Amino acid sequence: MEYAYVNSRIRAMKSRLLDRRQLDQLINKHDIDALITELEKTPYREELERAGVQYSGVTRIEYALRKDLVRAFRNLLSFTSGEEEENLLAITLNRYDVQNIKTILRGKRIHATPGEILDCTIPAGELDEAALTELVKQPDVKSVIDLLATWGIVYSRPLTKAFKEYSDTRDMLVLEYAIDTYYYQYALATLKGGETEDHRVIRDMVITEIDISNLRTVFRVLRDQIDREDAKRYLLEGSSELGLATLLSMMKGGTLEGALKHLEHTSYQFLTQVPPEYVSAQKISAFEKELDRYLVRKGIGYFIGDPLSIAYAIAYTWAKYAEVTNIRVIARCLVSEVPEKDLREALISV
Amino acid sequence: MEQINPTRMELIKKNAQIKLAEQGRDLLREKMDALIREFFHIMETVSMSRDQLEKLSNAAQHSLLIAMAIDDPVTLKSASFATRQGITLDIKGKNIMGVPVPIIEKRRFVKSLFERGYSILGVSGRIDETAEKFEAELDLIISLAETETALRRVGNEIQMTRRRVNALEQILIPELRRQAKYIEITIDERDREDLYRLKKVKKIIERKKKKTETAGSYA
Repeated sequence: MEYAYVNSRIRAMKSRLLDRRQLDQLINKHDIDALITELEKTPYREELERAGVQYSGVTRIEYALRKDLVRAFRNLLSFTSGEEEENLLAITLNRYDVQNIKTILRGKRIHATPGEILDCTIPAGELDEAALTELVKQPDVKSVIDLLATWGIVYSRPLTKAFKEYSDTRDMLVLEYAIDTYYYQYALATLKGGETEDHRVIRDMVITEIDISNLRTVFRVLRDQIDREDAKRYLLEGSSELGLATLLSMMKGGTLEGALKHLEHTSYQFLTQVPPEYVSAQKISAFEKELDRYLVRKGIGYFIGDPLSIAYAIAYTWAKYAEVTNIRVIARCLVSEVPEKDLREALISV
Repeated sequence: MEQINPTRMELIKKNAQIKLAEQGRDLLREKMDALIREFFHIMETVSMSRDQLEKLSNAAQHSLLIAMAIDDPVTLKSASFATRQGITLDIKGKNIMGVPVPIIEKRRFVKSLFERGYSILGVSGRIDETAEKFEAELDLIISLAETETALRRVGNEIQMTRRRVNALEQILIPELRRQAKYIEITIDERDREDLYRLKKVKKIIERKKKKTETAGSYA
């Protein structure tokens, strides 16, 4: 693939991302209308104008942010369309497909209206808005899975396998766990054997996501004092740094403090710096915030990776995600009149 | 004043009514005292639970704000699809001094990590924390519903009892007393009239007797 051309396009998209000064200007706004006016001076103007027809206030901003994110990611996919790299980039964006499929299955189980379900989807992955609209039109969970299988979507495989157990137990957890696990298994299987820089970058990010998912599971299991054997099935395999043995020994200690000791001398050592009051209060969200920041930092760090690889596109996806999240945090905090210090603390990356 | 027969029988009846009304008033006063004691006892629990609910509600709202800000409201709504279900509560009743109050079955709505219906791999701890805090709030709201209903019903009963006591004390008993007094006065009046009449008759008889005797001596 012609990375020189693709990365030039992405570089142009990156130049439209908000810089620190613009973010500060947004933080300094006193109300939501002022924030919208400020955002209208940025590339979000177009989506904000469209969103303004249906929504107002913070909902307008959030709707516009979602649409802009979807447009940006769809553009990325279109740059690599028909190339082998499209599959690699799709691995990163497929997490939106997995989330959308889960949303549709959840909605179908409780007989939510198609409109209600569709409002909760973010068509930033391979399944576009038309595909999602067709999926939400299906009458039940089984039909959704069948339609995915008909279209040849890989995520129908774990769902088809787990459907019998689901129909016996009516427990949505069965389907969700199957598709979540399969997402990582499929990503690693696709990357297996690939030795290019592109494969290395994507594999590195997928493994980091696996580590973070496992750490979150371990922390939550420890906080809720859940049986280690029950929790074991929710751990994902694939990481060499934090393998199953390490994760199980973290859980064996039974305390967060004990688990954190296992992270010394690993890439996740920064978690040992979380203030002790959060550790003693078992505030998992404090750890999660640090992990999210680490993931975003690592993703954005690929901007200085090989310029003739997929690294630049990956970095852009994380930078865009961070920007959208930060603007949403600012908007929500402004509406709730959160002090500036707490607002800055809540930002995903600074 | 209604038409009353000023007879001794009626007076006895009125006095019996006054005694019964006074007994009723005393009993109602005792009931009211007991209800007021119970009211303040429940009030203390309600006030403590209210403070606790306010703190819990603030914490839940803060968690919701952070979850909505970072995870996007649509992700949160999607997670809520997985957990959406009705709540069935078993309600029984008990009596506090004759006041029926509900007893709501104590059920914990705080769920464990794997009971919420969504996979923890795809849902952040922030959403979990938000769910947990709102579940705890729901627990407290339901227990508060029981005590607040009891408080409201006991409060209504106190008001009703006070109105009854006041009606007995301010209207019925004074009215009965007035009627008894009226009967007494009327009977006394009648007695005095009778006595006067007797004295008058006696005087007339004596005068006639004297006249007859005087006429006899002249003859």
